[in-house]
Amino acid sequence: MRKLLGRTPPGGMSCHQVGEVLQQYLDGHIDADRARRIEAHLDECRRCGMEADTYERIKSTLVAHRPQVPAESIDRLREFGERLARGEEPTRP
Amino acid sequence: MSDAATDDTAFERYVLPEIEVLLRVANSLTRNHAEAEDLVQDTLLRAYRAIDGFDGRYPRAWLLTILRNTHINRNRRRRPELLRDPDAATDRMISAASDERTDEGVDDEIDVEIIRALASLDEPFRQVVELVDIDGLSYAEAAEVLDVPVGTVMSRLHRARSRIRDRLVKVGFDPRSEL
Repeated sequence: MRKLLGRTPPGGMSCHQVGEVLQQYLDGHIDADRARRIEAHLDECRRCGMEADTYERIKSTLVAHRPQVPAESIDRLREFGERLARGEEPTRP
Repeated sequence: MSDAATDDTAFERYVLPEIEVLLRVANSLTRNHAEAEDLVQDTLLRAYRAIDGFDGRYPRAWLLTILRNTHINRNRRRRPELLRDPDAATDRMISAASDERTDEGVDDEIDVEIIRALASLDEPFRQVVELVDIDGLSYAEAAEVLDVPVGTVMSRLHRARSRIRDRLVKVGFDPRSEL
Protein backbone atom coordinates (compact mmCIF):
# COMPACT_ATOMS: atom_id res chain seq x y z
CA MET A 1 0.00 0.00 0.00
CA ARG A 2 3.07 2.19 0.01
CA LYS A 3 2.24 3.55 -3.43
CA LEU A 4 -1.10 4.80 -2.13
CA LEU A 5 0.49 7.09 0.43
CA GLY A 6 0.02 10.72 -0.41
CA ARG A 7 -3.04 10.27 -2.57
CA THR A 8 -6.69 9.59 -1.94
CA PRO A 9 -7.28 5.86 -1.66
CA PRO A 10 -9.65 4.26 -4.18
CA GLY A 11 -13.26 5.08 -3.41
CA GLY A 12 -12.07 7.48 -0.72
CA MET A 13 -11.73 4.52 1.63
CA SER A 14 -8.61 2.83 2.96
CA CYS A 15 -8.09 -0.94 2.75
CA HIS A 16 -8.63 -1.11 6.49
CA GLN A 17 -11.95 0.75 6.24
CA VAL A 18 -13.10 -1.51 3.42
CA GLY A 19 -12.03 -4.62 5.33
CA GLU A 20 -14.14 -3.58 8.30
CA VAL A 21 -17.36 -3.45 6.26
CA LEU A 22 -16.61 -5.94 3.49
CA GLN A 23 -18.79 -8.70 4.95
CA GLN A 24 -21.73 -6.34 5.36
CA TYR A 25 -21.25 -5.14 1.80
CA LEU A 26 -21.20 -8.70 0.44
CA ASP A 27 -24.36 -9.51 2.41
CA GLY A 28 -26.16 -6.40 1.12
CA HIS A 29 -26.37 -4.87 4.58
CA ILE A 30 -24.96 -1.51 3.60
CA ASP A 31 -26.39 1.69 2.14
CA ALA A 32 -26.13 2.45 -1.58
CA ASP A 33 -23.71 5.38 -1.23
CA ARG A 34 -21.23 3.42 0.84
CA ALA A 35 -21.62 0.41 -1.46
CA ARG A 36 -20.60 2.57 -4.43
CA ARG A 37 -17.48 3.76 -2.62
CA ILE A 38 -16.57 0.20 -1.68
CA GLU A 39 -17.07 -0.92 -5.28
CA ALA A 40 -14.78 1.87 -6.48
CA HIS A 41 -12.13 0.68 -4.04
CA LEU A 42 -12.51 -2.97 -5.02
CA ASP A 43 -12.18 -2.06 -8.70
CA GLU A 44 -8.84 -0.36 -8.13
CA CYS A 45 -7.27 -2.25 -5.24
CA ARG A 46 -6.11 -5.69 -6.34
CA ARG A 47 -5.66 -7.07 -2.83
CA CYS A 48 -9.09 -6.04 -1.57
CA GLY A 49 -10.66 -7.02 -4.90
CA MET A 50 -9.24 -10.54 -4.60
CA GLU A 51 -10.40 -10.72 -0.99
CA ALA A 52 -13.94 -9.82 -2.07
CA ASP A 53 -13.82 -12.29 -4.96
CA THR A 54 -12.78 -15.07 -2.60
CA TYR A 55 -15.63 -14.35 -0.19
CA GLU A 56 -18.09 -14.15 -3.07
CA ARG A 57 -16.87 -17.53 -4.30
CA ILE A 58 -17.34 -19.02 -0.84
CA LYS A 59 -20.88 -17.67 -0.60
CA SER A 60 -21.88 -18.74 -4.11
CA THR A 61 -20.54 -22.25 -3.50
CA LEU A 62 -22.49 -22.60 -0.27
CA VAL A 63 -25.68 -21.39 -1.96
CA ALA A 64 -25.14 -23.66 -5.00
CA HIS A 65 -24.72 -26.73 -2.80
CA ARG A 66 -27.48 -25.79 -0.42
CA PRO A 67 -29.08 -29.01 0.83
CA GLN A 68 -32.58 -29.51 -0.48
CA VAL A 69 -35.31 -29.65 2.09
CA PRO A 70 -37.47 -32.69 1.34
CA ALA A 71 -40.52 -31.63 -0.69
CA GLU A 72 -42.67 -34.20 1.12
CA SER A 73 -41.75 -32.59 4.47
CA ILE A 74 -42.89 -29.19 3.18
CA ASP A 75 -46.12 -30.74 1.86
CA ARG A 76 -46.86 -32.42 5.19
CA LEU A 77 -46.15 -29.25 7.14
CA ARG A 78 -48.21 -27.12 4.76
CA GLU A 79 -51.12 -29.50 5.15
CA PHE A 80 -50.68 -29.39 8.93
CA GLY A 81 -50.61 -25.59 8.81
CA GLU A 82 -53.65 -25.37 6.54
CA ARG A 83 -55.63 -27.53 8.94
CA LEU A 84 -54.64 -25.19 11.75
CA ALA A 85 -55.66 -22.23 9.59
CA ARG A 86 -59.09 -23.81 9.17
CA GLY A 87 -59.39 -23.83 12.93
CA GLU A 88 -58.58 -27.50 13.44
CA GLU A 89 -55.92 -28.68 15.85
CA PRO A 90 -54.93 -31.95 14.23
CA THR A 91 -53.43 -34.76 16.19
CA ARG A 92 -49.82 -35.46 15.35
CA PRO A 93 -49.44 -37.79 12.34
CA MET B 1 -56.70 -10.19 16.65
CA SER B 2 -59.19 -11.65 19.06
CA ASP B 3 -61.84 -12.89 16.64
CA ALA B 4 -61.28 -16.56 15.78
CA ALA B 5 -61.85 -16.10 12.04
CA THR B 6 -59.43 -13.17 11.99
CA ASP B 7 -56.85 -15.26 13.85
CA ASP B 8 -57.17 -18.02 11.28
CA THR B 9 -56.68 -15.51 8.46
CA ALA B 10 -53.66 -14.03 10.24
CA PHE B 11 -52.18 -17.49 10.65
CA GLU B 12 -52.66 -18.17 6.95
CA ARG B 13 -51.19 -14.81 5.96
CA TYR B 14 -48.21 -14.63 8.30
CA VAL B 15 -47.26 -18.19 9.11
CA LEU B 16 -47.89 -20.48 6.15
CA PRO B 17 -45.54 -18.60 3.73
CA GLU B 18 -42.66 -19.11 6.19
CA ILE B 19 -42.86 -22.90 6.39
CA GLU B 20 -39.95 -23.58 4.02
CA VAL B 21 -37.66 -21.06 5.76
CA LEU B 22 -38.58 -22.55 9.13
CA LEU B 23 -37.76 -26.03 7.87
CA ARG B 24 -34.39 -24.89 6.51
CA VAL B 25 -33.49 -23.25 9.82
CA ALA B 26 -34.73 -26.28 11.75
CA ASN B 27 -32.47 -28.46 9.62
CA SER B 28 -29.51 -26.23 10.48
CA LEU B 29 -30.34 -26.44 14.18
CA THR B 30 -31.04 -30.17 14.39
CA ARG B 31 -29.02 -31.54 11.46
CA ASN B 32 -31.68 -34.21 11.10
CA HIS B 33 -34.60 -34.08 8.66
CA ALA B 34 -37.10 -35.98 10.80
CA GLU B 35 -36.31 -33.98 13.91
CA ALA B 36 -36.46 -30.75 11.91
CA GLU B 37 -39.94 -31.57 10.61
CA ASP B 38 -41.15 -32.36 14.15
CA LEU B 39 -39.65 -29.10 15.38
CA VAL B 40 -41.43 -27.06 12.71
CA GLN B 41 -44.70 -28.84 13.42
CA ASP B 42 -44.42 -27.94 17.12
CA THR B 43 -43.53 -24.40 16.10
CA LEU B 44 -46.62 -24.10 13.88
CA LEU B 45 -48.85 -25.34 16.68
CA ARG B 46 -47.36 -22.89 19.17
CA ALA B 47 -47.66 -20.07 16.64
CA TYR B 48 -51.29 -20.94 16.06
CA ARG B 49 -52.01 -20.82 19.78
CA ALA B 50 -50.18 -17.50 20.13
CA ILE B 51 -51.41 -15.75 16.98
CA ASP B 52 -53.98 -13.61 18.81
CA GLY B 53 -51.13 -11.90 20.68
CA PHE B 54 -49.07 -11.27 17.55
CA ASP B 55 -49.14 -7.68 16.27
CA GLY B 56 -48.44 -8.56 12.62
CA ARG B 57 -44.98 -6.99 12.54
CA TYR B 58 -41.95 -9.04 11.49
CA PRO B 59 -43.67 -12.41 11.29
CA ARG B 60 -40.48 -14.25 10.36
CA ALA B 61 -38.64 -12.91 13.41
CA TRP B 62 -41.62 -13.82 15.58
CA LEU B 63 -41.72 -17.34 14.19
CA LEU B 64 -37.96 -17.79 14.51
CA THR B 65 -38.19 -16.86 18.17
CA ILE B 66 -40.88 -19.50 18.67
CA LEU B 67 -38.77 -22.01 16.75
CA ARG B 68 -35.71 -21.27 18.88
CA ASN B 69 -37.60 -21.57 22.15
CA THR B 70 -39.29 -24.76 21.00
CA HIS B 71 -35.92 -26.20 20.01
CA ILE B 72 -34.43 -25.34 23.42
CA ASN B 73 -37.39 -26.88 25.25
CA ARG B 74 -37.22 -30.04 23.18
CA ASN B 75 -33.49 -30.39 23.86
CA ARG B 76 -34.03 -29.80 27.55
CA ARG B 77 -36.55 -32.64 27.63
CA ARG B 78 -34.68 -35.02 25.37
CA ARG B 79 -31.01 -34.24 25.91
CA PRO B 80 -30.40 -33.02 29.45
CA GLU B 81 -26.67 -33.56 28.88
CA LEU B 82 -26.69 -30.53 26.60
CA LEU B 83 -27.30 -28.33 29.61
CA ARG B 84 -24.49 -29.89 31.62
CA ASP B 85 -21.75 -29.86 29.03
CA PRO B 86 -22.92 -28.10 25.90
CA ASP B 87 -19.60 -28.14 24.07
CA ALA B 88 -18.87 -31.82 24.54
CA ALA B 89 -22.47 -32.75 23.85
CA THR B 90 -22.52 -30.69 20.69
CA ASP B 91 -19.32 -32.31 19.52
CA ARG B 92 -20.81 -35.72 20.12
CA MET B 93 -23.96 -34.75 18.24
CA ILE B 94 -21.97 -33.53 15.27
CA SER B 95 -19.81 -36.63 15.11
CA ALA B 96 -22.72 -38.99 15.76
CA ALA B 97 -25.23 -37.42 13.43
CA SER B 98 -25.23 -38.43 9.83
CA ASP B 99 -24.15 -35.15 8.37
CA GLU B 100 -26.29 -34.46 5.34
CA ARG B 101 -24.04 -31.61 4.26
CA THR B 102 -21.23 -33.73 2.91
CA ASP B 103 -19.13 -33.13 -0.16
CA GLU B 104 -20.57 -36.16 -1.91
CA GLY B 105 -21.34 -35.40 -5.52
CA VAL B 106 -19.33 -32.19 -5.55
CA ASP B 107 -16.81 -32.28 -8.39
CA ASP B 108 -15.06 -28.94 -8.18
CA GLU B 109 -11.97 -29.12 -5.99
CA ILE B 110 -12.49 -25.64 -4.57
CA ASP B 111 -16.13 -26.36 -3.82
CA VAL B 112 -15.08 -29.49 -1.94
CA GLU B 113 -12.55 -27.49 0.03
CA ILE B 114 -15.15 -24.86 0.95
CA ILE B 115 -17.69 -27.45 2.10
CA ARG B 116 -15.08 -29.30 4.14
CA ALA B 117 -13.90 -26.04 5.67
CA LEU B 118 -17.47 -25.24 6.71
CA ALA B 119 -17.91 -28.69 8.26
CA SER B 120 -14.69 -28.28 10.23
CA LEU B 121 -15.79 -25.04 11.91
CA ASP B 122 -16.79 -25.05 15.57
CA GLU B 123 -20.56 -25.21 16.04
CA PRO B 124 -21.25 -21.49 16.76
CA PHE B 125 -19.34 -20.44 13.65
CA ARG B 126 -20.68 -23.14 11.35
CA GLN B 127 -24.22 -22.42 12.48
CA VAL B 128 -24.08 -18.72 11.72
CA VAL B 129 -22.71 -19.37 8.21
CA GLU B 130 -25.47 -21.90 7.58
CA LEU B 131 -28.18 -19.54 8.81
CA VAL B 132 -27.00 -16.52 6.82
CA ASP B 133 -25.32 -17.95 3.71
CA ILE B 134 -27.29 -21.14 3.21
CA ASP B 135 -30.66 -20.48 4.82
CA GLY B 136 -30.70 -16.84 3.67
CA LEU B 137 -31.53 -15.19 7.01
CA SER B 138 -30.67 -11.56 7.69
CA TYR B 139 -28.24 -10.77 10.52
CA ALA B 140 -31.17 -9.80 12.74
CA GLU B 141 -33.05 -13.01 11.98
CA ALA B 142 -29.96 -15.15 12.66
CA ALA B 143 -29.50 -13.26 15.94
CA GLU B 144 -33.10 -14.12 16.81
CA VAL B 145 -32.53 -17.83 16.20
CA LEU B 146 -29.25 -17.95 18.12
CA ASP B 147 -30.43 -15.58 20.86
CA VAL B 148 -27.31 -13.45 20.57
CA PRO B 149 -26.82 -9.77 19.68
CA VAL B 150 -26.58 -8.84 15.98
CA GLY B 151 -22.97 -7.78 16.59
CA THR B 152 -22.15 -11.32 17.70
CA VAL B 153 -23.65 -12.72 14.50
CA MET B 154 -21.52 -10.32 12.46
CA SER B 155 -18.29 -11.09 14.30
CA ARG B 156 -18.86 -14.86 14.18
CA LEU B 157 -19.67 -14.63 10.49
CA HIS B 158 -16.50 -12.66 9.84
CA ARG B 159 -14.33 -15.13 11.74
CA ALA B 160 -16.01 -18.14 10.16
CA ARG B 161 -15.62 -16.85 6.63
CA SER B 162 -12.03 -15.82 7.33
CA ARG B 163 -11.25 -19.38 8.39
CA ILE B 164 -12.80 -20.78 5.23
CA ARG B 165 -10.85 -18.24 3.18
CA ASP B 166 -7.59 -19.12 4.98
CA ARG B 167 -8.12 -22.75 4.05
CA LEU B 168 -8.61 -21.79 0.41
CA VAL B 169 -5.49 -19.66 0.45
CA LYS B 170 -3.52 -22.60 1.87
CA VAL B 171 -4.50 -24.77 -1.09
CA GLY B 172 -3.47 -21.99 -3.46
CA PHE B 173 -6.90 -20.70 -4.50
CA ASP B 174 -6.70 -17.63 -6.75
CA PRO B 175 -10.14 -16.16 -7.51
CA ARG B 176 -8.85 -14.19 -10.48
CA SER B 177 -7.58 -17.34 -12.20
CA GLU B 178 -11.20 -18.51 -12.51
CA LEU B 179 -12.33 -15.45 -14.45
